[in-house]
Amino acid sequence: MNKLISSFRKSLFLKVFSLSALVSLILISAIGSTLYNRLEDGIYKDKIASSISEGRAAIQFATYRFTIESLNGKPNFSSLAEEIVKSTNVSAAESGREVVLFNTKGLKLRGVPASLTSNFLEPESVPNALRKATVKNKEITWERGTLSYVNKRELPGIFVGGVFDIPKLGKYEMYMAYDFVAQERSIDLIGRSLWVTGFLLLVLILLTASIVLRMSVKPIQVAAEIAESLTTGNLKTRMSVRGEDETARLGIAFNQMATTLAEQIGRLENLSRIQQRFVSDVSHELRTPLTTIRMAADVISSARANFEPNVARSAELLQSQIEKFEQLLQDLLEVSRFDAEAATLNFTKLDLYVVLKKCIDDLSPVAGEKGTEINMRKTSERTLIDGDSRRIERIIRNLLNNAIDHSEGGPIDVTLEANESAVSLSVRDYGIGIEKQYWNRVFDRFWRADPSRSRVRGGTGLGLSIALEDAVLHGGDIKVWGEIGKGANFVLTVPKIAGTPIGTYPLSPSTDTK
Amino acid sequence: MTSVLVVDDDQDLAEMLGIVLNGVGMEVDLVSRGDEAIEVFKNSQPDLVLLDIMLPGADGIEVCKAIRKQSSRVPIVMLTAKSDTNDIVKGLEAGADDYMVKPFKPSELVARIRTRLRRTSGELNGNLLIGDLTIDIVEHSVMRNGKEIPLTRLEFDLLVALGKEPGRVFTREALLSEVWGYRHSTDTRLVNVHIQRLRAKIEHEPEEPQIILTVRGVGYKAGGSGVKS
Repeated sequence: MNKLISSFRKSLFLKVFSLSALVSLILISAIGSTLYNRLEDGIYKDKIASSISEGRAAIQFATYRFTIESLNGKPNFSSLAEEIVKSTNVSAAESGREVVLFNTKGLKLRGVPASLTSNFLEPESVPNALRKATVKNKEITWERGTLSYVNKRELPGIFVGGVFDIPKLGKYEMYMAYDFVAQERSIDLIGRSLWVTGFLLLVLILLTASIVLRMSVKPIQVAAEIAESLTTGNLKTRMSVRGEDETARLGIAFNQMATTLAEQIGRLENLSRIQQRFVSDVSHELRTPLTTIRMAADVISSARANFEPNVARSAELLQSQIEKFEQLLQDLLEVSRFDAEAATLNFTKLDLYVVLKKCIDDLSPVAGEKGTEINMRKTSERTLIDGDSRRIERIIRNLLNNAIDHSEGGPIDVTLEANESAVSLSVRDYGIGIEKQYWNRVFDRFWRADPSRSRVRGGTGLGLSIALEDAVLHGGDIKVWGEIGKGANFVLTVPKIAGTPIGTYPLSPSTDTK
Repeated sequence: MTSVLVVDDDQDLAEMLGIVLNGVGMEVDLVSRGDEAIEVFKNSQPDLVLLDIMLPGADGIEVCKAIRKQSSRVPIVMLTAKSDTNDIVKGLEAGADDYMVKPFKPSELVARIRTRLRRTSGELNGNLLIGDLTIDIVEHSVMRNGKEIPLTRLEFDLLVALGKEPGRVFTREALLSEVWGYRHSTDTRLVNVHIQRLRAKIEHEPEEPQIILTVRGVGYKAGGSGVKS
């Protein structure tokens, strides 16, 4: 049932179809029943009118006959009555006409029975109300009733009655009864015809509706499907266009839209590809001359003992700036690789603790130069993860370098913690700190909280950005906490098994890890 | 005197390489075209080749293959500007022993060249048995059933490194430091490619190695009975 409702809600076809079915059903039944009632009324009215006039004539004729008979010296009323009643017998079967004669007082006089009927009609068929009215009115009166026969047959019909006084005999009522068999048959026929016609009409309407609907809904359906296909990135799908009608126009417009869209996307893709390509090419092209420069600087630098102090210092600066330049180039390349989505992971099982220890060992001298001490705390033994060792190491180095740069000589606390699904590494410094509004901006490329502040040791400005991209590549992330003057905390979390979710975070940057 | 063939189409870089290598007492031949390099190699028979990948005439990989056809021994170190492309793997598969990504430190280059040259004169002597292989360390030859299997110097070093401590599992990092002289590098492509090349030469079924076994998640070890005689 729910399925039905939901498919009803989702299908334009079903909606419109059932609505038109409902409307045409109501319309057809309204027209049919009106038509039926009108016809039925007309047929009965005709029959009633003809019955009344015929009955009146028959009763008048009978009155006349009885009156004539009464003028006779020896009136034979009984045979006349018989004759009048029986005269209808022959044709009665076809005309459905019966005659009933009553002595109003219910007496048998001069051989005429108190009641006489034709064709075994029960005299009680005549409604009592009619009899009373007839006697009272003394005019032709009629009423619809049922013709009951001795053999229990009952037919609907009409009774037309009149009274007459016959000299020497008394007061009599005469009723002409007409059955409605023929009329009922016609009405039945009409009714049945109406049913059949109505049904056929309904079928026809629904058939037409479904064809029309199909014709008009189909393109919409197709358009919807193709729009969905486009949404999923299949930019080559198009509608097939036939003819010149509105649906064809829809198709043409739709296809044009798709083409424009594809072109725009293609253009943008191409542009960004060209741009990425350019960055990558530039970085690569710079490498060969940089190698030469580097070697030259090295040769110069190694001979600096023989130089003037100024020249010797220049050689030193040249050397260190080339190193920085090289790092920047490497980071740029890495970034262009991320942008081109060309970065791939080379997974191995590695112990985050081992990598961390190595990084700390490598960077401790650098930190020491600034008076910064790196303290490590490990609270879990299970720090094995699936990771790309080069990238994991780079993340850690970048986080540590960032902390060293911003620690202002304060200590750095590094905490490693794990749970079933993930490992977290927190790097906490007590230096400059970051305002809350900038927490996430620190990952922006070349972003600086205070542009006027110079980099003391200076990373490339790409380190954190690359670290985050590396973490995301591993299915992990880096969260930040910081406060001006209180320092910052960066927490790297990676899932233990590649491709599985992190689940709960072993560490979160808001908790003070000290 | 050690002679090095430098193949690079960047004249300035080549010249600079020449200055640096001359500075440490090496003799240098400079060539800027790939096709030329093959000719020069034939005539001069250098001790080591520094080879750029992108070259006019014939690219570094072709040159590498051509040199390997002539000499299985000479160490080849590729110079490349791209560290992430398939070029490196292709180069290693073509027979290069090592590679250096530009820009490199001159000291590192010299150290690497020295490692490649020193390794060829091992510190062990005598014969080493691994599986059905007999390794003559002095003669630098590997024999199976009296027939020599030609190996490059690096492949030989790799085999000896694994074979001299049979059963010990070497991590890729350990092999990098042992055979290539790297202390920090974690580029395991070098190890993987060379292990594959080595297996293709010494294993009966390279797909189901018996001599150099993979220890999943850790590294490699020499299988069979390694006996030093």
